[in-house]
Amino acid sequence: MNSTMRLGVVGIVFFALLGLLTLRLWTMQIGEVEAYEERALSNQSRVVATPAPRGDIYDRNGVKLAGTRSALAVVVDLLLVEEEERELLARNLAAFLDTPASEILDQFANDSQGGRVTVAEDISEVDATLIVEHREEFPGVSVIPQPVRTYPEAELAAHVIGYIGRPNEEDLEREDVKPTDVVGKAGVERSYDALLRGSEGAIEYRVDAKRKVLSLAGETVPQAGGSLVLTLDSALQEQLQDSLRDGLVQARRLEMRERADSLVERSRSERIADALAEAQEAALARFDEATGSTTTTTTTAEPGQDDDDVPAPPEEVTVDPLTVLGSLYPGLPIDDDGICVPTQRVTVAEGESGVLSGIEPRFLKVESIDTLDDDLVATVRIGTDRYTVSDNDSFAGTLQVLVVTEDEVIVYHRDRWCPVRSVGVVLDPNDGSVLAMGSYPSYDPSVFVGGISQTDFASLGTASALQNFAVQGLYAPASTFKAVPYVLALEESYYPLDRGVGDKEVGDEAPAEEESPDSAADSSAADSEGSNGDSETTDAAEEAEEPQPLLSDTDEYSCSGEFKFRLSDGTVQTKRDWKWPQGHGPLDLHGALQASCDLYFWDMALRLWDERNDETGVDKENLLQEYSRSLGFGTATGIDLPFERDGLVPDRAWFREEQRAETGRVRPDGPWVGGDLMDIAVGQGAMLSTPLQLANGYAAMVNGGTVWQPRVVDQIVDTDGEVVDEYPRVPLQQVDLDPRTVRMLRQDLQQVVNNAERGTARAAFADFGPNVEIVGGKTGTGEVIKAPRTEAFRQVDNAFFVGVAPINSPDYVVSIVVERGGSGGRVAAPVARQVLQYLVNGPEGVTELAPGLDAD
Amino acid sequence: MAYTVQDRSPVFLDRDSPLRPDLTLVVAYLVLAAIGLLMVYSATAPGLSARGLDPTAELKEQAIFVVIGFIVFGVASSIDLMELKGFVGPIYAISIGLLLVVLTPLGDSEGIAQRWIDLGPIQFQPSEFAKLAVILMLASLLAGAAVPLTWQTTLRAVVFVAVPAFLIFSQPDLGTMLVFGFVLLVMLFVGGATLRQLGFLALVGVIGTVGLFQLNQIDEYQINRLTAFLDPASNELSLSYNQVQSEIAIGSGGLFGKGLFEGSQTNLQFVPVQASDFIFTAVGEQFGFVGGAIVIALFGVILFRLLVTARSARSRFSYLVVTGIAAMFAFHIFVNIGMTIRLMPVTGLPLPFMSSGGTVFVAMSAALGLAHSAWIRRNMTLAERPSEL
Repeated sequence: MNSTMRLGVVGIVFFALLGLLTLRLWTMQIGEVEAYEERALSNQSRVVATPAPRGDIYDRNGVKLAGTRSALAVVVDLLLVEEEERELLARNLAAFLDTPASEILDQFANDSQGGRVTVAEDISEVDATLIVEHREEFPGVSVIPQPVRTYPEAELAAHVIGYIGRPNEEDLEREDVKPTDVVGKAGVERSYDALLRGSEGAIEYRVDAKRKVLSLAGETVPQAGGSLVLTLDSALQEQLQDSLRDGLVQARRLEMRERADSLVERSRSERIADALAEAQEAALARFDEATGSTTTTTTTAEPGQDDDDVPAPPEEVTVDPLTVLGSLYPGLPIDDDGICVPTQRVTVAEGESGVLSGIEPRFLKVESIDTLDDDLVATVRIGTDRYTVSDNDSFAGTLQVLVVTEDEVIVYHRDRWCPVRSVGVVLDPNDGSVLAMGSYPSYDPSVFVGGISQTDFASLGTASALQNFAVQGLYAPASTFKAVPYVLALEESYYPLDRGVGDKEVGDEAPAEEESPDSAADSSAADSEGSNGDSETTDAAEEAEEPQPLLSDTDEYSCSGEFKFRLSDGTVQTKRDWKWPQGHGPLDLHGALQASCDLYFWDMALRLWDERNDETGVDKENLLQEYSRSLGFGTATGIDLPFERDGLVPDRAWFREEQRAETGRVRPDGPWVGGDLMDIAVGQGAMLSTPLQLANGYAAMVNGGTVWQPRVVDQIVDTDGEVVDEYPRVPLQQVDLDPRTVRMLRQDLQQVVNNAERGTARAAFADFGPNVEIVGGKTGTGEVIKAPRTEAFRQVDNAFFVGVAPINSPDYVVSIVVERGGSGGRVAAPVARQVLQYLVNGPEGVTELAPGLDAD
Repeated sequence: MAYTVQDRSPVFLDRDSPLRPDLTLVVAYLVLAAIGLLMVYSATAPGLSARGLDPTAELKEQAIFVVIGFIVFGVASSIDLMELKGFVGPIYAISIGLLLVVLTPLGDSEGIAQRWIDLGPIQFQPSEFAKLAVILMLASLLAGAAVPLTWQTTLRAVVFVAVPAFLIFSQPDLGTMLVFGFVLLVMLFVGGATLRQLGFLALVGVIGTVGLFQLNQIDEYQINRLTAFLDPASNELSLSYNQVQSEIAIGSGGLFGKGLFEGSQTNLQFVPVQASDFIFTAVGEQFGFVGGAIVIALFGVILFRLLVTARSARSRFSYLVVTGIAAMFAFHIFVNIGMTIRLMPVTGLPLPFMSSGGTVFVAMSAALGLAHSAWIRRNMTLAERPSEL
């Protein structure tokens, strides 16, 4: 190879390299130019969002429930502040705004707003002027108007309106939400968030490589959000909320009075003896279970029959008087008025003592907090008792540790018997409009504006004040639900068998009671799910006449107050109408509803059960469930509010699925039995409904069969007040009800309120005033807790009332629940009475709240 | 070495003059220098005026060096390489000395690397001249060696390169070191090394580089530059920020570019050190593919003229010097432009005749002048033309 050739090779290499450069240039500048242009453009602009004012919320009469005012915010543009200047600026701002400089510096460091940090919201005009006048001390600081949410009516309709806050991760998944935005968290603020927010504007600046603003490149004006006109009537809403609050306070007072009475009635020694007996029984049951013994209960097992190889109960049964008494009524939390509160948070620092309020206050002393296996464990003392506790531990009967931190202990002091809350809905049965809705305790949405403090949020959380229990609360609707089998009876001409005063033979698939005779002394499995009655087994079968089916709604049924089953082993079990154990005597369908006779509906359920088809599990077995579902039970109504619950209409398929999945919601063994269907007929068992569903179901039954989709938003208007959209009235289902059925139901509901002999709500409505004859309703008392008897001998019930007015052409359906309030007739009916008085007789017609009679 | 001064026109235009310059080369050099000045101005003016400074400050400073560079080019063109050959040893020794000075406290550091000697108002970068010294030294060695080269000669050549390369590496300047490697390979190749020797050297080079990595002898920032090149998106805002921004600037230039002073990336200073290492970015953004291709073509013209000069050189020494200089230019051009369009990692090699920076322009002009001198004197002594290898 000569030198020329070698130079040639070098030349080829050189030009190949230059060719490579040209080729790459070509692909970039000709092939991918658009992509690069885009990147170059995005490089040079900086977009600053300008928030759009949130839409207002009005009631149906134009009362403003939520609005927006313009506040002045202090914003620092970090890009205009040199790194060295920041600390000085932070100190200047800190002195001016009264916040620690370190906090402001933290905000600078954690800037997530693209260089613009809001260091103060809502400052006064004087302060704003000062900042603007001392510009040189505040480099990069500007005062800008910022829309701030206002709730002029505070707590009014809070649960419907909801509240706003910073978006969480789930909110951020929405395309139009940025971390710095404010989004609706509950109520219509949430369900109509996108509409209320409008679209934010933007100012685009041209910037250089240091992101320094060079010029204004363009501006998009923010579009204000749409405003909502609700179906609510704020005056009615106020009445409802007042009545709910007063009703709950009254229920708590009643509870306190009963406590005082029972304290007097039962001596200390009696109660200890009771507790000891219960504990012995429980120990024996455990012992039976452990040894596999078939002895039933202490009452049936004779000592002489015990074989020698059956050992004596291994444990010496003792009860600690303190857990029985010390933790009972005198020690339960009370408020400043001496009224019980369901849950009280007590925070105690290490080495300090905190007060556990109560009729007899106690002191909780946190003696020390130590670390044990990486867990924090606190040693606390109440009186002479010492407990070692960590997170979530329950102790001293009524206390539960929320959390143990390094320097303090936070405990919940619970009172499981204190009425928890009251819930109410007023619906227009003609189109599903919600006229008023809410639960108590409630909250003022304003506390969320600009961020809520940890303590405030915690106390709202402790009381579950943020949840709208009208759509989120699930309750077994109890006797209010009897209207559904009532309608079924009339529509299908289907009535119970009259057994006279005898027992009822139940086929091979006996109620669950039979399955576990050992535990009968405690409570039957079906019972513990909340069946509406006491039950017991007896050895002897009683003679009975041949049952005769009733043929019409006016045929009379003999209500003995005792409902007896013959089980397949020949024993007979008795279920009693727990509110009316003496029996109602002979009554027809109408009387059964008016007096809320459990037995009538139990027998109806049993007849349905007997006509089931075991092969397919259908036929009459599911007829009641089908009626329930067609009236809207078991499925969320689809109201325009978030977090609505479905409720539950249990049936055999559901039961099997729960058993298979071992959810623990149903008994682990045994089939779906007639007793389960009986429970449904009286709104107990696993049956669950929201207060709204209950109101909506009644609305459909009294309006002739139209199930409307409830709604809280009527119209959407723009900033000029022009209506831009109207929320449609949506019929969900049309149930073909015989006009006679509807007429009869209205009549009987009217009788519940007006019948002086047996109407369960007559006492509550006694001082209704004029027009009481156009008001109807139904009471309900739902058993929620069968508390272990070593801790309580009190029954805790949910109180229900559903009211309808005017009865012949209903415009209002009122559904009231007082959770753990007691009986429906006594506690819930008076609340509904006030609301109905307001609706029928106007604001002046509302009379003082007073407890009604204890009636189911 | 007498020649007649023509009456009618200057000597360089006289077609018959034995000293007639290589007009093509000179024009390409001047045009590139002019484009370079324009680009330096367009890349620095917005930043300077934004800071309230004279927007032409950088231009003026560079212009002074360009003028100095032109003079140096002229002077170098008049130096007979054959006369210079006698001074190769001292030149080499002096440049090694200067490299050592950089490592002393006299050296001024910019960024992490220490490459400068501070001479009061003028900063001087010895490594630029070391390149030229090494080329002269290698040419001197290889010119007198038998062809094909013995292993001994090849190894001596390696040692001559290795000493300054090691010193530069300690500064540290990976780019310049690589220039040495490339120049060495090209000069050995045209100097008559066997393919086996070249292959062996290439292998040693690769193993050596890998070894340096392994022994952590390469500073972290050098590794980062190389790895950032492989995945620029991973740290867009840090290491390869320059490269990403440069790529955006050039890519968005399109066919004809955004026009002079219209480059948004350039004007808004998205590309740091744009006037020096990333000067080609300004060309690509403002004049697009057409402008970029013209600049590359001008470099092509220079490289072509240098190879033609090498072929017609009157001595083996000149032949080797010119080829070495061409190799140096070629490597600078490819690595620098390649870096701005993310074809090569960021190494900090300037673009000849265009990048701002006094030492670079003057040194490059001197190198080009020397090669040009070989062209002017190509016919002087035919006997000394390189023999067949």
